[in-house]
Amino acid sequence: MPSCATMKKNKGKASSTNEKEFVFEFRAGQHNCVLKVPLQFPVQEIINDLHGRLMLLHKIPCYIETDLKSSLSSFVEKETILDYDREAELALQRLTAGDVDINQLTNAWTRSYVETTLEHARPEEPSWDEDFADVYHELIHSPASDTLLNLEHNYFVSISELISERDMELKKLQERQASEMDKVMHELGNTLSDHDVNAVASQHFDAQQVLENKWASEQKQVTGIQKHEYQQWVISLHQDLQKSNSSQITEEIKVQPSQLLEVADPGARMFEEQPQLEESFTIHLGAQLKTMHNLRLVRADVLDFCKHRQHSSAGAKLRRLQTALSLYSSSLCGLVLLVDNRVNSYSGIKREFATVAKECTDFHFPFLEAQLDEVQQVLLYARAQRSSKQKEQPEIPRNGGDDKNKNVERNPSNILPGEFYISRHSNLSEVHAVFHLCVDDNVRSGNITARDPAIMGLRNILKVCCTHDVTTVTVPLLLVHDMSEEMTIPWCLKRAELVFKCVKGFMMEMASWDGGISRTVQFLVPKSISEEMFYQLSNMLPQIFRVSSTLTLTSKH
Amino acid sequence: MRPLKDAQLGAFTFFASALPHDVCGSNGLPLTPNSIKILGRFQILKTVTHPRLCQYVDISRGKHERLIVVAEHFESSLSDFQKQGIKASSEKVLQVAYELLEGLDFMNKHGMVHRALSAHNVLMDCKGNVKLAKFGLYHMTDHGADVDFPIGYPSYLAPEVIAQGSFHPSDSSHDEAPLPSGPKTDVWSLGVLLFELCAGRRLLQNIEISERLKFILTLGCMDDIVTVLAEEHGCLDAIKELPENVLELLRKCLTFLPSKRPTPAELLGDPIFNGVSCLYTPFKKPVSLFSSSLRCAHLELPEDISDLCKDDDEDYLSERAINEVYHLWCLAGGDLEKELTNKGIIQSKPPICTLANFVLEDGESFGQRRDRSFLLDDTTVTLSLCQLGNRLRDVAGEAYYPLLEDEQSSLPQSNSSNELSTTVKLPLIIRERDTEYQLIRIILFDRLLKAYPYKKNLVWKEARVDIPPLVRGLVWAALLGIEGDIQAKYESTDKDTPIPTDRQIEVDIPRCHQYDELLSSPQGHIKFRRVLKAWVVSHPDLVYWQGLDSLCAPFLYLNFNNEALAYACMSAFIPKYLYNFFLKDNSHVIQEYLTVFSQMIAFHDPELSNHLNEIGFIPDLYAIPWFLTMFTHVFPLHKIFHLWDTLLLGNSSFPFCIGVAILQQLRDRLLANGFNECILLFSDLPEIDIERCVRESINLFCWTPKSATYRQHAQPPKAAGDNGFGKAASYYTSDYQDMPKTDLSRDPLALCDLKAEVSPRISAEDLIDLCELSLSGPGKRTRAGKPKIVAVDIRNLEDFNRGHISGSINIPFSTAFGPNSELVQCPATGVLQSYRGRVIVIISHAITNAIMFAAHLVKVNFPRVCFLDGGINKLKPTGLLTVPSPMI
Repeated sequence: MPSCATMKKNKGKASSTNEKEFVFEFRAGQHNCVLKVPLQFPVQEIINDLHGRLMLLHKIPCYIETDLKSSLSSFVEKETILDYDREAELALQRLTAGDVDINQLTNAWTRSYVETTLEHARPEEPSWDEDFADVYHELIHSPASDTLLNLEHNYFVSISELISERDMELKKLQERQASEMDKVMHELGNTLSDHDVNAVASQHFDAQQVLENKWASEQKQVTGIQKHEYQQWVISLHQDLQKSNSSQITEEIKVQPSQLLEVADPGARMFEEQPQLEESFTIHLGAQLKTMHNLRLVRADVLDFCKHRQHSSAGAKLRRLQTALSLYSSSLCGLVLLVDNRVNSYSGIKREFATVAKECTDFHFPFLEAQLDEVQQVLLYARAQRSSKQKEQPEIPRNGGDDKNKNVERNPSNILPGEFYISRHSNLSEVHAVFHLCVDDNVRSGNITARDPAIMGLRNILKVCCTHDVTTVTVPLLLVHDMSEEMTIPWCLKRAELVFKCVKGFMMEMASWDGGISRTVQFLVPKSISEEMFYQLSNMLPQIFRVSSTLTLTSKH
Repeated sequence: MRPLKDAQLGAFTFFASALPHDVCGSNGLPLTPNSIKILGRFQILKTVTHPRLCQYVDISRGKHERLIVVAEHFESSLSDFQKQGIKASSEKVLQVAYELLEGLDFMNKHGMVHRALSAHNVLMDCKGNVKLAKFGLYHMTDHGADVDFPIGYPSYLAPEVIAQGSFHPSDSSHDEAPLPSGPKTDVWSLGVLLFELCAGRRLLQNIEISERLKFILTLGCMDDIVTVLAEEHGCLDAIKELPENVLELLRKCLTFLPSKRPTPAELLGDPIFNGVSCLYTPFKKPVSLFSSSLRCAHLELPEDISDLCKDDDEDYLSERAINEVYHLWCLAGGDLEKELTNKGIIQSKPPICTLANFVLEDGESFGQRRDRSFLLDDTTVTLSLCQLGNRLRDVAGEAYYPLLEDEQSSLPQSNSSNELSTTVKLPLIIRERDTEYQLIRIILFDRLLKAYPYKKNLVWKEARVDIPPLVRGLVWAALLGIEGDIQAKYESTDKDTPIPTDRQIEVDIPRCHQYDELLSSPQGHIKFRRVLKAWVVSHPDLVYWQGLDSLCAPFLYLNFNNEALAYACMSAFIPKYLYNFFLKDNSHVIQEYLTVFSQMIAFHDPELSNHLNEIGFIPDLYAIPWFLTMFTHVFPLHKIFHLWDTLLLGNSSFPFCIGVAILQQLRDRLLANGFNECILLFSDLPEIDIERCVRESINLFCWTPKSATYRQHAQPPKAAGDNGFGKAASYYTSDYQDMPKTDLSRDPLALCDLKAEVSPRISAEDLIDLCELSLSGPGKRTRAGKPKIVAVDIRNLEDFNRGHISGSINIPFSTAFGPNSELVQCPATGVLQSYRGRVIVIISHAITNAIMFAAHLVKVNFPRVCFLDGGINKLKPTGLLTVPSPMI
């Protein structure tokens, strides 16, 4: 009674699987029985289970059990070895037959080793940046931190003085020009023609430009000198400390008082007219295992997180210290800045941001312009990579790809909505990394969805936050920095709901990326929204996120 | 696991390759990170125990896909020979070869290939025996597919491995990973290794990698590879001098064509080793706790028993299993990342320096500099046991060998026993992190489990104190009474043939406790599927209900490497706590269960019960997933463990108390809210303090008369005498259903009647027991922990005077309540008020009166109200009714 069973398996790669027949003979009383089982190789199943199933399926008498097991496992073992041998010799044959180029093959191996293992990797060129980072990180966590901060602050003060001097001079120039222009206008129609007025105006403009350029280059020079001095000083301080091996710092740097600034413009740069509104929440995300995160809803200007303040103002120095301490740590602070499609700092919020970034020398990272130049380079490289890849695989359909490709082809140095570039800063008050997220006018309309590029950009930003330990990130809740007329109350509510919900989804996703590290997300709303609106939004937040219950400290009666 | 002995603990680290950005799996769910895949595949390595292999202990995931592997480690390795430039003697070569082959053969039997054989991965223990390290790397990385770096070292790669190509992620021309290598590739590497030993120098040193590989490939054209290698390295003389059997061995290993090269198993049986093999006894796997064979079958005691207690160096800790030592090392403040950072193996750059410049809309980033800290440095770092040693310095030697005979003192006497008895009173969370306490507990449980099932009673007793996390899986199995050859039973269950439930299982698994690394790994999913299918197939009368997956999760997590035990535990758990819950039509079982639950709410918290009933927030709306999954659907695993540690000690009515305890923790919010808010609140259950929940449910349980949770659909009484080693049935652990049924027991009740009753009934037995009435007089010892009780007789005074149970108070039904169902002020009700808080048992003539009376009492927030099943008539035949002596 020969019995036969087919057990088809769809596992494994179709190309490398093959079927073999296992034949087992045994005697049951008078009968000679033959069991034939087709097996797929490589065998995915556990042999003991296969054996159990065969026993069950074919009602094989139990006295055969051990025989069947040993013969089955030796069959599988033998056949597997044969398969290995066959595949291995095929590969060797391909080589001897010349189907595979030996140089290409060994080069690929070499590359693998060189690029992934320390043993074979090319020795690292010493990097000034990283050495400086180590030195600074060590110093800022030592008693020298105060000295460092004071030094930084003194540099800041001198830049501030420079800026206010510049502003003063510019103001004077403008006043002079205004009075000149008045005179000219007065004479307009009498002795002077429109043409003359235009000439004067352009002359004024040129003069202004010249003055601005002069100051700009002056500022650049000063910051360059400052940066150099500062870095030298930090290195030598570190060396001194190592040599003396004591934490005593002999020369104390006192905070340089600057009456100038405090008098100069107390309102314009340092204070906000409307009080900053702020509300904090602690939330739990996840179905069974919950991770705790902090959310904050803030009404403020986006640049408030960047602007440097006088140490005299309450908490400013502490905040500065906090930012400095965490600069090279694994808890960074990020900020999402919404920008247009050009990588520069000529207009709008980009210009304002650049101004703020220049108010204080960045002692660690390249100046903003230099960073943007680098981004431009990388951007062009990325575009080139992409287009060559697309040529290779033209069949991959991309959503709205045609439209996008056209845009890219028109000007490859422009960025598209949803893409972002990152700049690094050590000189901003509460931020280390700025995500410049490109958005278009579409975000002003009321009907964007969760699939909108801006939202996808937010998701990618959060992903970068995960991979690079940005634990605090500030996101413009309404995806705009300024309010305009079309942004009605329903518009705001709808937009806020969308962003809240999407960010919640992304945060839950983040748990799988980084294993659920507690984070802080700050939702920023423009300064110009009303207090009622703010509270409406702060009511919405706990409905969307699960706010953890308040801890009751009352004992049970 | 083996004892640590003279071994060390070592750790090495590597990175799993990052996933391509924004790719979804075929089921639409996000892809599993490679580190999790590796972590899942690693687990089986913990069970690969052989004297020639370094025992794997643990794997942990760090940030950014970093993995750290902990394994047995030794400081000396074969590369020491090379460093000293010594030629090994031919005896030594044969010994090393034989031992290596033993290790390789054992691995091959487990379907594993080393692939990364090299001089520094062949470690030597103090006796000079070979220990293979990193033998699991090729297996855990899915043949190198989950990591960027190639597995193996250039000089040792077998020609066919080189020919099959390297897979490099950044290289788009290779789409498919190279085929997995077979056992014979290790034999080539072994040949190179032995050649180096004989020659006393390293092969192909100081040549560029690609040249090395080319050289290996060209060996195919040579007739005598060994001679060619010897000539190339200028050691022809040394090789020529070798004895014939060593040369033969080298030739066999360095056979170019795989088909002609022997496998490790074949080599092991080769006559070359005739002189060596007799020195070794084949390795026998120790018998596991659950098997058909006797564990003590091969136990041989030495003639002189005192040989066993030779104290060499009195390092008792090293006699403990490796995983125990590692567990304690972690508790004593061990930090893997810190150890590796201190040795400079983990070097991380500040993240701000490695930020990308530019990110496209689909998430691909550009301008990120190559971070050197992500390169592979597979140096193994020895974990120092100093800190642990210091921590355990004061633990006396006796503590490592507690005597189990004396059932009185559970904790071993040592000079620190005072300290331990204070530790017992600390919260569980703290106890679980206390190194010394855990050591003592682990040793105790280890010994108890070794004596299982003989010491079952003691396991129960100790489990009531707490269960050390390290041994929880086995302790639970012991509590569930698992015995017999579970492995054979599991293997004979068909887990492969497709069944209709497959689709549902397939959908549920990727959604079940996926925050956990083990359960979310592909290996976890495979095991999940097999255990669930085995259960479904072996229980033809029951069906798969969603929730069974959650129920399986804790068992699978605890017994990840022992599916059979996970299956056996689940199969024992379900009939005990969820009898017939998984019937195809389970509505009658669930309905009865929920009704009893709402009676329990009314019994323990009438105010909450009144409120919930008022707003219509009935248990059907929220409690089904609680009970159907025994809370595994609502809590994360670490909370389930603590909850079930207690649940498994209680009987099948304990879940009711847990349910009530959860409600009570949310009491304030429930009372303050209406229906909609309550639904919202429970749609995603808020954080529950599980230790408080356990404490309160035990308290509730103690206040609940046993028969109050009687269910007619509960598990029928087990056949007597199956308690082989007869665990002492205490009041709390035995089920009401398990008690012999008598006339005084509760009778089944139709569901609609049960639903109409707000308060539970209790049986006459229970009343007699709790009131300590019995015919044998009051001499019975009073058991502590029994609820305080007061019997309320609501018959009219006349009937009461004709006979009542002693100690009962009489409040005639007609007089107790006013028109607005408020309690009338009278002396009798005053007495009742003074007994508030006790269990109030209402005894009546007509049962409807008792139901109404109880409902009224609940309405006015009287807690712990129940009534006597069958009324006074049940008691009449007992002769317990007394007639008060007439007042004079």
